[in-house]
Amino acid sequence: MLQLVLFNVTNGLIIGAFYVLMALGVAMILNLSNVINFAHGNFLALGGYLAFVLIPYTGFWVALLVSPLLVGLLGYIIEQTMVRRVYSRDPVYSLLLTFGLSFIIQDVCRYIWGPNGLPLTVPDSLSQGLSEDLFFITGYRIFMMSIVIVSIVGLFAFLRYTRLGVRIRAGTLDLDTVAALGINVRLLRSLNFAVGIFLAGLAGVLASGQIGLNPNMGDDLLLPAFIAIIVGGVGSLTGTLLGGLLIGVASALTTVFWASAQEAVIYVIMALVLLVRPRGLMGEEGMFT
Amino acid sequence: MSMLEARHTTKAFGSLIAVNDISLSVAPGELRAIIGPNGAGKTTFFNLITGFFPPTSGEIILDGRNITRLSATQRVKLGMARTFQITEIFPELTVHENVRIGVEAASGYSLHMWSSRADATRVRAGIDEILTLTNLTTKADRLVGELSHGDQRAAEIAMALALKPRVLLLDEPTAGMGEQETYQVAGLIRRLHKNSNYTIVLIEHDMRVVFNLADRITVLTEGTMLADGTPQEIAANPAVQAAYLGTAE
Amino acid sequence: MSATTTAKPGQARLNGRPGVQPSGRPALPQWTTAAVIWLVLLSAPLWLSLVGGYTALASHVVVMALVAMALNFLLGFTGVMSFGHAAYFGLGAYGAGLTLRYLSDSTWFAMLNGILLGGIAGTLLGILICRRRGVYFAMVTIAFGQIFYYIAYRWDDFTGGYDGLRGFSRQPLTFGPWTIDIQGNGTLFYYFVLFVFGVCIALMTFLLRSPFGRTLIAIRENQRRARFLGISVDKHIWLSFSISCFFASTAGALYALLNNFADPTSLHYNLSGVIVIMVVMGGMRSFWGPLVGAAIYVVLQDYISSMTVNWMSFVGLLFVMVVMFFPRGILGMLQRRPST
Repeated sequence: MLQLVLFNVTNGLIIGAFYVLMALGVAMILNLSNVINFAHGNFLALGGYLAFVLIPYTGFWVALLVSPLLVGLLGYIIEQTMVRRVYSRDPVYSLLLTFGLSFIIQDVCRYIWGPNGLPLTVPDSLSQGLSEDLFFITGYRIFMMSIVIVSIVGLFAFLRYTRLGVRIRAGTLDLDTVAALGINVRLLRSLNFAVGIFLAGLAGVLASGQIGLNPNMGDDLLLPAFIAIIVGGVGSLTGTLLGGLLIGVASALTTVFWASAQEAVIYVIMALVLLVRPRGLMGEEGMFT
Repeated sequence: MSMLEARHTTKAFGSLIAVNDISLSVAPGELRAIIGPNGAGKTTFFNLITGFFPPTSGEIILDGRNITRLSATQRVKLGMARTFQITEIFPELTVHENVRIGVEAASGYSLHMWSSRADATRVRAGIDEILTLTNLTTKADRLVGELSHGDQRAAEIAMALALKPRVLLLDEPTAGMGEQETYQVAGLIRRLHKNSNYTIVLIEHDMRVVFNLADRITVLTEGTMLADGTPQEIAANPAVQAAYLGTAE
Repeated sequence: MSATTTAKPGQARLNGRPGVQPSGRPALPQWTTAAVIWLVLLSAPLWLSLVGGYTALASHVVVMALVAMALNFLLGFTGVMSFGHAAYFGLGAYGAGLTLRYLSDSTWFAMLNGILLGGIAGTLLGILICRRRGVYFAMVTIAFGQIFYYIAYRWDDFTGGYDGLRGFSRQPLTFGPWTIDIQGNGTLFYYFVLFVFGVCIALMTFLLRSPFGRTLIAIRENQRRARFLGISVDKHIWLSFSISCFFASTAGALYALLNNFADPTSLHYNLSGVIVIMVVMGGMRSFWGPLVGAAIYVVLQDYISSMTVNWMSFVGLLFVMVVMFFPRGILGMLQRRPST
């Protein structure tokens, strides 16, 4: 029994970490630009596919770095050409825009690489399990978790200590003042968007090593990302972090007792949070509530 | 007995004390002006009175009733109407429709999914009365979003009047207006005060308007009340002159 | 939050954004427009095949028009953005389908159950949702919408899971001695759909012209001002949401009857997005806009998916084009400002 629970909690933390990585990207774009990026899951898939293309030429490790950068660059271009036009309008338009992008990216992936799953080759060194009993803790999973943790820590450090990061944080609190200080808000938004997309691409490369590639691979992570943000509290990245881990573990534990409810349980958690503490675990009063 | 009273009201945002122990009392039918430099806490004080957020300490009394714990909507229903620094109206509706929303809300019809003939007649009468009072009858069928600032402000005040308020709180009614429009709005406020006997509390920067209309003036600076008195007293007060009247408006 | 709304003092913010011009009167049905539209709809079976259409397509258009107009009640007239409306549509479909499959032979009963299932779900969820604002509201509506998708997907013994619910079909309507064979006769079924559509439109018109309807429009125009007139904004939003969900589930029930089939895609947020684009494409602020949007979308999708397997890219492209170049939608662009 203990092994079963341990197995599931580990799974939960891993999947939770992915939710967090996705959710942080979505949250960054949401917090600064008030845009819900529906295409986030598709950028994730794109990250995986680009790695797939690169690996035969550059090997896994380089692809791990380069693919998210390319995806982030694409995000930057998209923000500059399209997303920026709809900032000043009713939020329904930005939602529709990212929705449309989601359809397009999905279909392009399907067109280029086919609708079926593809495997992503991962270095052998990573594929071993830790031990007989802990077989499910494979080297790859440890590696994945480490990268995710490093990225999350890196993101928080970036936001805390770098000039760009501090400006982004200031912008989420009061964009008018930031603009008045002479900071180029347009560039700030573009870079912020690119960082968010970079995170999606990174998650994509990591995930494909584990579950393989398919055009819809990001779909199952998108809604949980939203829920992680709602549960953790809109506006708080730490909250998003906690929210993601919480729903990941909850979902995994549910598979032990009632497998069919594993997705539903995170929605139930969200409903409870909305009932009892609408601003989320760490959200601020008055923001959208 | 006062119509509106604030007792030792304080509002702190963390370590920032925006409103510091302000007490004032407005008599029925009085026109009170609140003046002070930018950042003095005037709008925050208004927000406290109208129920945007609760005070950190202190009480607010409307016509003898303690409304400190009531929500903004509840305060409106008890007769507290407000206009905003940036005119808050329904831009794509006509003046008539704007006022109608106010009258229907005040009559408790907002949730009605049907409308009887009697209701409709009563509502129309109410609208006509207010349009006449605010001189907007000729503009009744124009979209409010297309009117001049002065007319938009008049429309906003008209909506406030639809609530049959006990007290009217006007936040910088002449903000951003030229000579002509300031004259128009000030004239409307004077009529409401003198002819219809409304109790009015006014935040204003335009000193001509303040000294022409006010029965009493309260001066705020940095969250505290500096002085409170008749226009003559305030004009003669050296502290006020130093803090505020001496600086360019 | 970080949206810049720096208006000059005194100048009214139009819809919260300085400098935006009013886009024209929010149109409640004018007699001429309504007459033309009804003429087209009623005569459709006569000329449809001449333009390469078929009756089931027309029925499809009317059903989607209904759900789009249901959404517009909320989006265009109350100013509230729901991106999860497919959930209630889908619940309507499943409600009707499950009834016909397991409970009864009556089309009316199936419709009733479909309408109630989606409508009540919306009403209950609305309580949790109605206090939220802005993009947060949208996020919550999307999230709640997906619960039902997962339930339909997982509960496959009952709902047929991923493959959908089959094994039922719409039954002929019986009124005493008369029978209307909507089962065998596609044209009769089309008129049945049109009838239900008509009843719903009439109700919507009635509601929008009432004090309640006017208050919803006021809330759309300026929530803060509405609140400061003593209007209970949350309650109004909740009611509007609830009403909208009832109409959406009605459309869903009709959809199940149309296809004799219900599946989880009718609950998925992809469909929610499609419903929104139909509304925006036709014109958010106009009453009949969603009908126009639905017609265009359904016909376009039917045509493109018969030509290429990559129709999704085209749909996505359509979204992007509409957002970038035609945000006011077709009827929005045709609407002229009243001369004063």
